[in-house]
This record gives sequence, C-alpha cells and structure tokens, in this order.
Amino acid sequence: MSVFSDIVFGGLFQGSLYAMMAVGLALVWTTIGVFNFSHGVFMMLGAYFAWQLVAFGLPVVIAFPLAVIVMAGAGWILQASVVRPLIGRPNIVLVVVITTLAAGSLIENGALTVWGPRSKQLPSLIEGNTTIAGVGVSLHQIAIIVITPLILAALWSFLNRTRLGLALRAVAQNEDASQLVGLNVTALYGLAFAIAASLAGLAGIFMGGYRFMNPSMGADPLLKALIVVVFGGISSISGPIFAAYLIGFFEAASNYYFGLYWTPALLFLVLIGTLMVRPEGIFAGRSRGLA
Amino acid sequence: MSENPILSVEAVTSGYGRVTVLHDITLEAGRFGNVGLFGPNGHGKTTLLRTISGLVAPKSGRVAFDGKDITGLSARAIVATGLIHVPQGNKLFPDLTIGDCMALGAYSPRARPHEAENREKVVKLFPKLAERWRQRVRTLSGGERQMVSIGTALMSHPRLLILDEPTLGLAPKIKDELCAAVMDISKGGVPLVVVEQDIEFLLELSRQLFLVDHGAVKTEIRPGESLEHSEIMAMYFGH
Ligand SMILES: Nc1ncnc2c1ncn2[C@@H]1O[C@H](COP(=O)(O)OP(=O)(O)OP(=O)(O)O)[C@@H](O)[C@H]1O
Ligand SMILES: [Mg+2]
Repeated sequence: MSVFSDIVFGGLFQGSLYAMMAVGLALVWTTIGVFNFSHGVFMMLGAYFAWQLVAFGLPVVIAFPLAVIVMAGAGWILQASVVRPLIGRPNIVLVVVITTLAAGSLIENGALTVWGPRSKQLPSLIEGNTTIAGVGVSLHQIAIIVITPLILAALWSFLNRTRLGLALRAVAQNEDASQLVGLNVTALYGLAFAIAASLAGLAGIFMGGYRFMNPSMGADPLLKALIVVVFGGISSISGPIFAAYLIGFFEAASNYYFGLYWTPALLFLVLIGTLMVRPEGIFAGRSRGLA
Repeated sequence: MSENPILSVEAVTSGYGRVTVLHDITLEAGRFGNVGLFGPNGHGKTTLLRTISGLVAPKSGRVAFDGKDITGLSARAIVATGLIHVPQGNKLFPDLTIGDCMALGAYSPRARPHEAENREKVVKLFPKLAERWRQRVRTLSGGERQMVSIGTALMSHPRLLILDEPTLGLAPKIKDELCAAVMDISKGGVPLVVVEQDIEFLLELSRQLFLVDHGAVKTEIRPGESLEHSEIMAMYFGH
C-alpha cells in the first residue's frame, strides 16, 4: 500500500513541476511558433528574485507573488528584445533557438555574478511535515500538488473563457486574419511570453523551497519540459499537462522499481517508442494552435 | 452618393521585400457606389487590398479613407477606422468555432457596442452559421467558411467592406447564395470594394470597375459607360 501511495505521491509532485514548466513552453510555441530555450533560466530567475525579496525582509506572501509579477515583466522584455525583431523571418524557429539560448546563457552568468555560486534555499510555502496513507511528506510538497492544478485550471479558463484568451488562441492560428480583426499581435506575443515566464518563475519558487538553488538549476527542468511537450504534443496546452503527469508517474514508478540510474534511459526509450507510433505526440492533433 | 471618394489610392508603389508588385497605382472609389476590381491572376489585386488594409506597408504614395490619411497605419489602427478587409482564401482560424470567430470580429472597441445587433444581422444573412455555431472552422465546407469570413467582417461593424474574391472556387449553387448575400450587405448600406473573377456578378454589383493589370489601373469604367461583357473580356485579355 505504501509503495503505491509513494508512487502516486511522487508522480503527482514531479508531474506538477513538469506541467508548470511545460505549459509555458507550449503556450509560447502555440502562439508565436518558436521554442524558448531561456525557459529554464526564467525558472532560475524567478527563484532568485523571490530569494532576493525575502532577503530584503519581505514576508513570503508578498515576496513570492511579487517575484512572479516581476518575471512577467522579464518575459515581456526578453520577447521584445530577442524574439519580436525576428518575427516574419522564414528561418525564425532556428534563429530564435539561438537567440534565446544566448540570452539564457547571458542571464545565467549575470545571476552568477550578482548572487554568486553558493547554493541558496527559499523558505517553504508551508513549513512542516505530515503522513498521508503511510507516506511521510512535507506540507510544501502538498501545497505544490494542490496549487498547480488550480493555476493550470485558471490558465485554461483564461484561454477558453475570456476574450483576451480567445485572442491569444486566434493569433496562434492565423496572424493576418488576427490583424484584420484588430488584434494587437505584438502585444499578444508579449503576453504569451509574460505568462510563460511567470509560470516558470513560480516553478522555480516551488523548487527553491525543497532543493538548493544555483544559477544553472533551470537546465534540467528545461530539458524535462521539452520532453513533456514533445511527448504530449504541442498543439494545445492540455496535451502537455496530461503528459507532464504521465511522465511524473512513470518516473516515480521507474525510480522505485529500476532505480534513479535507469529512469532517464527508460524514459527516453518510451519517448522514442511513442514518437515512432505517434510523431505528433500522444495527446495532439496535427496543427499548431491553442485549444 | 457622396461628393468625395470614400477611398482613394494615390500613386501607391508596394510589394514584398525587393519585389515591387504595384507600380504607382491610382484609383478613387465610392463616389458612385460599389467598386469592382478585376484583372488577370497575379497582377496585384490582392496586394492592392493588403496595402489598403495595412497588412503590407506601401513603399510610396498615399492611401486615404473617408478623407483621412491612413498610409502606413497598422492594420489594427485601420480596422479601428471601420475599413474592414475580408482576405482572399478561407484559411481563417481553423481551430476556432464559428461563435469564437464572431466574437473576434467584434474585438475592436469600435465594434463591441454593436456586437449583439451585428450578430443578429449575420445570423439573418447566413442562417446556416447559426446551426453550426459551435462547430470548428476546419470542419466547414468552402462556402460555409466564406460565410464565416464575411460574417466576421460584419461583426467588425464596417463602414467600408473590402472583399477579395468572395466566390472563388465555389459550386454554382452556393456561389449564388453568397452573391445574393453580398448584394444584401450592399443594400443594407455598407459600401463595397470587391475583387472578383466573375464579371457578370461584378457588373450587377458595382457601377464603377477598374481593370488592374501589371500592378496599375489599366482601364476605369464609370457609370453610364455600360459595357458589354464581350468588350470587358476583350480588355481583360489585352486586345
Ligand atoms: N507574400 C508574398 N511574397 C512575395 N511575393 C508575393 C507575395 N504575395 C504575392 N506575391 C506576388 O505578388 C504578385 C501579385 O500577387 P497578388 O496576389 O497581389 O495578385 P492577384 O491579382 O490578387 O492574383 P489572383 O487573381 O491570383 O488572386 C504575384 O506575382 C505574387 O507572386
Ligand atoms: Mg488575389
């Protein structure tokens, strides 16, 4: 029984973090049609901004939301500086891989200069531990498992139930037609990046609360998020969300039965197998567009 | 009809990158009612409409709408003036529903207060759309998509409506339906600028025609100069 709850709990927890990261990546891909390789750096930056605000003496309830808001601004600025000028180029997908990688590396080194290489840690969302179904867990992890689906549901309703969300979904599908109904395409692109960066920043805050932070802490989550979106399909945001949890459960089970060492290899094996059968991802339709 | 042209294009040169498509094109529209544009494929009709609606920035020249200079404005700013362009083809928003498209049509602040009233007009004009309100555009037929295109534009509360080949590639029956709808829109008081290959329809709809050829106006036909179909065909093929 405890094995089962161990796996369920571990899957939910990892899945939450993966979903939080992957959804931003998918949002940027579906609206703008580029992959943002500084997405992992956004995660790191969110954690460090939060750490800095806490170090300034702000209480967590103010510092964490403020860091998330600052990250929205950071996402907007990054979009305006290294993505927007390239829009309309035929080779934009590849060029943006390079510009966002470059910007990410610059920011990472900036963080190293400003905050130094020494590991830091953020306060937990909620202090303390408890036991559920025979598994000892921290309240911080429980909070993440509860908050993430709420935020993802809020994002889903924003995209599907509001006029601005409708505009974001539209601009993903046809830029000319979007302009002809009067959408502000550049602002919508900025908004997509801002939301993605905020979510990444929040994932960073989650992670900084149970693991040590360092300036390259975003590299592995970025890789995982890429795997999630490739696996889940990028034609919507629900595909990556399901895939994130699926991969979370897979990893938890594999960690238990085969060990940490074999898990990445097994994951890639499953990924490659899946893509051979369904190249567009398991939950995807064939087109690009938020739905 | 008004004294002044509702739309005037003065010596506009435009194109894509280094390719120039329109060479010093000049035309005035709306003094005599609807305007029809026709001409051989690939001679710049679509480029002209895209330049007017701000999707393509002109290299030189001037575009004015209702006396106001709109040269170089963004497409969004031009939509805000009430000049609405229905583009050629019907790619639209493949994964949105008809209802979503109508909501998007009313996105600009100018159109929003009229949303309910315009929705009623669209549904009256195209009852088929009401039946399929929650259906995705990608699953619609060509004719239905064209209806969605025009319906979306009507939701934008147009003061001038530009249609780029609204009946292209449609079967005769559905084509007649769309032609009738376009006539209705015109009767409802919205002036039109229409690009069409079907000269009969264009002659029925508009009193002023322009033949666009090699990126310029080759011939202008004004009201009173009633022309035979054969004469127009002769112009078309450059004899
Ligand atoms: N996006 C583009 N980039 C480069 N050239 C283009 C682009 N769009 C159109 N052209 C070129 O501009 C020229 C004029 O095209 P345009 O679409 O304006 O013609 P048209 O008169 O509307 O033709 P049709 O009757 O086939 O619709 C063509 O030679 C075309 O190849
Ligand atoms: Mg054309």
